[in-house]
Amino acid sequence: MLFEQILFFLAAIAALAGALGVVILRNPFYSVLALASHLIALAVLFLLLRAEFIAAAQIVVYAGAVMVLYLFVVAYVGGIDEPPKGEAGAAATQLAPVFGAAIAIEITIAVVGTGLAAIDTQGAKLESGFGSPGQIGEQLLTKFLIPFEAASFLLLVAAVGAVVLARRRRGLEHLDEPGSEPGPDSRPAMEGHA
Amino acid sequence: MGSALVFADVNFAEGAGVQILKSLIIFAVVLQIVPIILMADRKVMGRMQSRYGPNRVGPYGSMQPIADVLKLLSKEQFTPRSAVPWMMALAPMISITAAVATIAIIPFGDRGMWGGDVGLYGIDVSIGILYAFAFGALSFYGPLLGGWSSGSKYSFLGSMRAAAQLISFEVAMGLSLLGVIMSAGTLSLVGIVDQQAGMWFVVPQIVGFIVFVVAGFAETNRVPFDLPEAESELVQGYLTEYGGMRFGTYFMAEYVNIITISALVTTLFLGGWHGPGPDALGPLWVILKMFAVLFLFVWVRATMPRLRYDQLMSLGWKVLLPLATLNALVTAILVVVT
Repeated sequence: MLFEQILFFLAAIAALAGALGVVILRNPFYSVLALASHLIALAVLFLLLRAEFIAAAQIVVYAGAVMVLYLFVVAYVGGIDEPPKGEAGAAATQLAPVFGAAIAIEITIAVVGTGLAAIDTQGAKLESGFGSPGQIGEQLLTKFLIPFEAASFLLLVAAVGAVVLARRRRGLEHLDEPGSEPGPDSRPAMEGHA
Repeated sequence: MGSALVFADVNFAEGAGVQILKSLIIFAVVLQIVPIILMADRKVMGRMQSRYGPNRVGPYGSMQPIADVLKLLSKEQFTPRSAVPWMMALAPMISITAAVATIAIIPFGDRGMWGGDVGLYGIDVSIGILYAFAFGALSFYGPLLGGWSSGSKYSFLGSMRAAAQLISFEVAMGLSLLGVIMSAGTLSLVGIVDQQAGMWFVVPQIVGFIVFVVAGFAETNRVPFDLPEAESELVQGYLTEYGGMRFGTYFMAEYVNIITISALVTTLFLGGWHGPGPDALGPLWVILKMFAVLFLFVWVRATMPRLRYDQLMSLGWKVLLPLATLNALVTAILVVVT
């Protein structure tokens, strides 16, 4: 259908532009915004693939919560127009394109080698209820139970680890006493960004 | 697929013409509630505080919202020198778009209630309530970008508060609905209302109801939780540098959000279109229940003092979230056992 094609190309262009923006833009705040627009465009692509649940989860989790937290951190750290140069030397600068190209080739081989057989002009056969929350839940708790539980365990470990690391750096102690003032170093470094 | 306008898997959809007509009617009707609640907010709160409220413009001050909007429309848009102008213009649009989009899934009546094969709702998406949460998540960007791009410390602090508060309460809000979704066995809002024919979910899901309403107050930045715009500390929070209709857009988005939350409470907990009388009265019951919840919003605003910021976060993470989780757990056990 024509509408779907127009929507597909709009979303695809937006996704590519967003991804490029993440890398190209100098100001980290704008980079995060570009990433958010990329994720929203991906959600539109998911919608076109009849995967409403994945699209909604993408928006709620990534474009919503995760990206807002990124923005939160970047805004507090301050919009630096020139990011500080890393410690990497000349070797890293020269090797980076090589590794980038290697990964690009690898991904191309992986994509071309596996799923493309199902993607012709007709598209894969769409069963009724495909991608519905009920079906995804059933698959997660039967066929993919072990990866599902492993992922949840991994996330738990990550969450606990984040708390432990933050405590070890003496970042959170002062928050334990209710009503106490945060330390002088925890003030926002809002210096204007124009 | 029923028509060319449907890109997603929906439970039921009419032809394209009917859909366009329907969406126009729904938005025309629901957006008319904005001036009513704006007026009620000031009138009812005035009475609760032993004063009259606005009573100069039109009979009983009923033309006050029009005067307010005309004033906002004719005011100057100003932009601070340190601001990012395009983003300052974009941010209120994000807020209002996300706020209005959720109205599409509110069911005002069942299919064929007013004759014909027409559902009295915008669209019945298969992911149902997740649609509301998706647009709720996008609405975070409104205050966040608006406050950041204003280039002012008050705006910035207000927007950071807004982001932290919205994310914290979104979690509790989502979890509080798990009980309803498990009891109903469907995500579709129309399906959830259908399941409440015998008993409204507010009775078996009273804990979920309380958590949802409290989190709803926080999500809409209403008074006990209006820290993003706490005027005693932050001037006007993320709205500080906004004037004219851009401010008006934020203001309207806030009221549309309140209407959406009350419509969701009606749909998920208060039985939606179920009520005495013939079926055709369904939409009337929905509107009446919505106004009852809206009255609660005004009532609480006139009653409660503003929380401190750490109290707000403790309430979200240490009270509402465990309560909602416990509610989901108990409901899951009960659903499996019975």
